[in-house]
Amino acid sequence: MNNGKETIIELEHIVKRYASRGSFFGARGKEVIALNQISIKILRGEIFGLVGESGSGKTTAGRLIVKLEKPEGGRIYINGSDMAGLKGKALKDFHRKVQMIFQDPYQSLNPQISVFDTISEPLVIHKIGNAKDREDAVWQIMKSVGLSPPDDFVNRYPHQLSGGQRQRVAIARVMVLNPDFVVADEPTSMLDASISAQIFNILLEMRKNFQVTLLFITHSLAAARYLCDRIAVIYRGNMMELGSADQVIQKPKHPYTKALIDAMPKFGLSGKANNNHTLLAVEREAFGHKGCPFFARCRVANKTKCSQERPLLKETNNSHWVACFYAANGDEKGSSKQIMPN
Amino acid sequence: MAFLEVENLSVGYHTQKGYLHAVEDVSFSLEEGKSFGFVGESGCGKTTLGMALMRLLPPNGLIRKGRILFDGVDLLQMPDEEMRKIRWQEIAMIFQAAMNALNPVHRVNEQIAEAILTHHASIDKKEAFEQVEALFQLVGIPKDRMRDFPHQYSGGMKQRAVIAMALACKPRLIIADEPTTALDVIVQDQILKEVKNLQKEFGISMIFISHDISIVSDVCHDIGIMYAGKLVEHGSREEVFRKPVHPYTKALLASYPTLTGEKNRLVPIPGETPNLIHPPSGCRFRDRCPSAKAACKIGEAVWIENSPRHKTLCYQCGTDCK
Repeated sequence: MNNGKETIIELEHIVKRYASRGSFFGARGKEVIALNQISIKILRGEIFGLVGESGSGKTTAGRLIVKLEKPEGGRIYINGSDMAGLKGKALKDFHRKVQMIFQDPYQSLNPQISVFDTISEPLVIHKIGNAKDREDAVWQIMKSVGLSPPDDFVNRYPHQLSGGQRQRVAIARVMVLNPDFVVADEPTSMLDASISAQIFNILLEMRKNFQVTLLFITHSLAAARYLCDRIAVIYRGNMMELGSADQVIQKPKHPYTKALIDAMPKFGLSGKANNNHTLLAVEREAFGHKGCPFFARCRVANKTKCSQERPLLKETNNSHWVACFYAANGDEKGSSKQIMPN
Repeated sequence: MAFLEVENLSVGYHTQKGYLHAVEDVSFSLEEGKSFGFVGESGCGKTTLGMALMRLLPPNGLIRKGRILFDGVDLLQMPDEEMRKIRWQEIAMIFQAAMNALNPVHRVNEQIAEAILTHHASIDKKEAFEQVEALFQLVGIPKDRMRDFPHQYSGGMKQRAVIAMALACKPRLIIADEPTTALDVIVQDQILKEVKNLQKEFGISMIFISHDISIVSDVCHDIGIMYAGKLVEHGSREEVFRKPVHPYTKALLASYPTLTGEKNRLVPIPGETPNLIHPPSGCRFRDRCPSAKAACKIGEAVWIENSPRHKTLCYQCGTDCK
């Protein structure tokens, strides 16, 4: 998988903790581990999917990459250089090259700023071009995100736009800087299905036309399957499985990934195919934090081994990584008859 | 006569910009013990429809015409006092956003006991709390969490509590408005299974409202597709998903990413939903429809019968929509 492609972003043993505030009366300072020793290499030009439930730490990972937060441990490299050491011009350059599209387009746009100013503002901040150049750039990018003709939209304010149009403005604002790397944090979770499909296709075109690398954060495996080249599944801050989209979705190996796939509504009749039954109906007691993070809910777990020892992420075959002691054995059970090309 | 029969229901809102036609001419029927799912995008009128069935519209809402026959009695003709008795005892609702449906300053079991006590004068407090305990067991909330306040619950538990509350008076019809939005897939799956089991066990009829086709197809016997205030297609879930006829239904299915099957390019629906204060003449989907013809602008709405149960609303007099 890695051959021939360079790594653009690398997370190395990233740890992020939050101190919970505690209740108004109660004790405080209990720590929540948002990310636990996460290592990811994202290759130039790919769409990398980060899939997890709410609270899994997927948004935190995105925020760390764009430097909205600092990790407690580990390093993040961009193009081989450590992000933490960036200063001055290099830092400003970093902020131009690495951008983020937020979840909620109703909150990520300033209601008092027109569409034109919203999209041209990043250019002004980074002192790119003169007024004329900026106008051209804004027009250009608006057309490519489907806000056309741009004349109809430039003087509007966010409240005069639909949800889908707002998200396009947010994408245009990011893409106008011609970034190398974009984090898209659940960009369609606030939108209707037909509008989501528009946004997905815009993201695919952005990759094609601007050679941008994307980290796509989502809770939906179906959306990840559609957009992504590779997928990482995380659970409570721990990486459970990593592989190509086809590997992870057609031949899931981790019991948690299998449980996620089981839980996806299957369009009624079409998909009775995989029923892995890897999720325990009632959580069992986990003893401390030594064991596998999924131990409490895992049906295939071994009570002594899995509760005591944390499985490491291991390559099972062909760049398919799984953090489970029983992943290899579970293979014949989870895999379907289909054989993936390449 | 079906258990619930809705005929030509039209509901709207008075707004500053004029009268908004939120639901127009919707008719459907529901047999006892069955479930009917309404699917549509935001603003298509599906929540308004649910609220109208409960007669719980906000003050600016207006049911302009139509009949809602529940066991043969028109709910719209019923005096407020009697409607209040039917509400919750006969027809209950699971509201969207369970986190807001519970009162934060009362213990959860007290809130549900209150619903029982209000509707059954003969039941004393002790009995009511026993019933609540049974309900919690039914929806899978541990006994020791009964006396918690809502903020101590997780999202899934709150949703379970709201379902318990809907079941409290043993209704015959439950209207569930997006009961699993904002929940994670695994929790959502558990709740949907719970809902299906309860429905089967007690023979409760259900109206299920959601923007997510895949969820509705999981839960419901019959499905209605709504677009811009109109019901445009309805039938058994097999027929609607296997052989969709209305261009909007087809477009909606084509815009959905799936986990199985071939990975086709998603086809988004171009354009935006129409303004419902001045709805377009003829077919409301015509501006976004790939197969729209001149007739769609002026044509009369005709219900085409694809099969005895599967019907499609079309303005081309049934010639080309198929």
